Amino acid sequence: MNQWTPISSEETQGNQPTRKSLTYWQDVWRRLRQNVMAMTGLVMILIISGLAIFGPMFSPYSYSEQNLQLANIAPQIEITKITDKDYVFVHNEYRLVSVTADGKFIGAPEVVDENKINRYITYNIDGKEVKFDYSLAMSNRKKGQKVTEEEENADMKTKYDIFVDGEKIDKYDTKIVLNKTNIMGTDTLGRDVWTRVLYGARISLTVGLVASVVNLCVGVVYGGIAGYEGGKVDNIMMRIVDIISSVPLLLIVILLMVIIEPGLKTIIITIGMVYWVGMARLVRGQVLSLKEQEFVLAARALGVTKSKIIIKHLIPNAIGPIVVSMMMSIPSAIFTEAFLSFIGLGVSAPEASWGTLANDALGGIRSYPYQLIIPSIAIALTMFAFNFLGDGLRDALDPRLRK
Amino acid sequence: MTRYVIKRIFSMIVTLLIIGTLTFSIMHSIPGSPFTSERSLPPEIEQALMEKYGLDDPLWEQYLNYLGDLVQGDLGVSMQKLGVSVNDMISEGLPVSAQIGSVAVIVILALGIPIGVISALKQNSLIDHIVMFIATVGIAVPSFVVGTFMMYVFGEILGWIPAGGFDGWRSFIGPVIALAGFSLAYVTRLMRSSMLEVLRQDYIRTAKANGLSQLKVIGKHALKNALIPVVTYVGPMIASILTGSFVIEKIFALPGIGKYFTESVTNRDYTVIMSITLFYAAIYIFSVLLVDIAYAFIDPRIKLDD
Repeated sequence: MNQWTPISSEETQGNQPTRKSLTYWQDVWRRLRQNVMAMTGLVMILIISGLAIFGPMFSPYSYSEQNLQLANIAPQIEITKITDKDYVFVHNEYRLVSVTADGKFIGAPEVVDENKINRYITYNIDGKEVKFDYSLAMSNRKKGQKVTEEEENADMKTKYDIFVDGEKIDKYDTKIVLNKTNIMGTDTLGRDVWTRVLYGARISLTVGLVASVVNLCVGVVYGGIAGYEGGKVDNIMMRIVDIISSVPLLLIVILLMVIIEPGLKTIIITIGMVYWVGMARLVRGQVLSLKEQEFVLAARALGVTKSKIIIKHLIPNAIGPIVVSMMMSIPSAIFTEAFLSFIGLGVSAPEASWGTLANDALGGIRSYPYQLIIPSIAIALTMFAFNFLGDGLRDALDPRLRK
Repeated sequence: MTRYVIKRIFSMIVTLLIIGTLTFSIMHSIPGSPFTSERSLPPEIEQALMEKYGLDDPLWEQYLNYLGDLVQGDLGVSMQKLGVSVNDMISEGLPVSAQIGSVAVIVILALGIPIGVISALKQNSLIDHIVMFIATVGIAVPSFVVGTFMMYVFGEILGWIPAGGFDGWRSFIGPVIALAGFSLAYVTRLMRSSMLEVLRQDYIRTAKANGLSQLKVIGKHALKNALIPVVTYVGPMIASILTGSFVIEKIFALPGIGKYFTESVTNRDYTVIMSITLFYAAIYIFSVLLVDIAYAFIDPRIKLDD
């Protein structure tokens, strides 16, 4: 007698997976998508990259275009009304620049007479004679007397008067408008800060990209070989890593800079020489523990070559930490570039990187803080974006958190 | 243990020797000499100078001479600054860098570790979110930006800290904050994540189940294990902070050791480059050694025999 009866179809269906099976990367993506911070970071990175690639194409200025008439003008300007339709901007180098009522610069008005001894300039604006008298800045002071701190900090308005056709106008009749010509203002040479920040983004992102590629190509392979071979090979390879990481980065840069010419190339080579070290250590550590596992033994028993074992079996198993470390190496490379440029060892003028922009702004920080703030914000935002995404990836790639 | 330390010190010396050799050969392969300047010297004077500093000897002889002096603790004489020895430069610059550096290190450890632990214990609370936000800001804003803003806001506008130089405790505030900022944020984050990791472990559950007080569970069982990744980071960090950061020293006009190094490389001041590089490398390698020894104390499973 047959004691076995087929089970009902309902029961067989109960064993079928209720959820579509996901590959590892689909699962990672699913978890990453749920992480708001990480997605914000990702979107920010996409926007920054987009701006870096396409931004300069749409900018009306080039990064090296100088306009000394419009030097050191802030994103927000105070304009003085001289007639019903004419406005001027009083530059703090004591000269006037014509401007429209909504903050668009027209240019320097025609100079009729300039007297540097008696400290006035006469302009011809729309047929009117405008006399800009800045002798007040000196008049209260005896000859040779030093500028006191109080005077230095005093409002500029106390130091000049404007006369239109001989009549004194109310210099306090001003309004504050946004600078429509250079939305982020201009630097000491009248170059558009926004355009230069966009160019800086190109350089910073290039450096970040190079660092991550080097990490992947050199660091992973180097660490993989050292970890898998073990013994003497490992020892020698890791000592080399120790040596590289204990030579000061600055020394390598400066030495390279003398051999090659200073600039982006030097920074990229330096970062290429140094940045794989951390990754090599990490991969070696991972491989050391992975290579003892059975699947590696099985692969070896089947006669798989060393390079195939490392590339196909070991590295994919350590991909989580590798991706996270790669992600984190990008901001630190950008950081390094900014740092090197900041101490004057980076790209050379007129090229702009965020570090050089910040460095150039240092001298004028009291009068033009925006020149420092804007590149600083750009650096900080990029760092934020990469850090958020890196943190999110770390969580998403950790199989222990898998539900 | 003693054997291990001796072995490590020996390999440290070998590493230093390799670094020295590399620096020496790279340095001399660069065109130009310390006496190259816009105003070209008469050949006789240049010859005399070369002779005085031994630069006309074959390279290997210069190298051996340098090593010989080094073993006797003589780091050489600057070729740019007349009569100033590198020992003078280090003994003048290092105290400044080291004082500011050690205050920064103390701030980092005294704030970073407890804040990280608290943040981990109160995961996803308001405190945790605030701490993580500040820590992310700390990592994202470069030290030179922090330094410049400190200088601008506290120095220029509020006048709380002197505008530069090294004078009194007030001059510590700016550099210490700028120097500690990044590492403080990093240590806090590292401490938090490794603490979270440890708190998930079975032995913590066991300790709690055995009725140990919260303080004992955290202080004795969790903290020790969670400190390991932090110690790994702190070693090299101490080395780089103690020896000073070029940028911070530049911004705050501090007479630290970083200044000499940057100057020397652009001036092609051979002895100074060599000595300061070796000095840096020695401090770095030594702090890595200290980290490895600290491991053995924190985690008895780690043995220092091989």
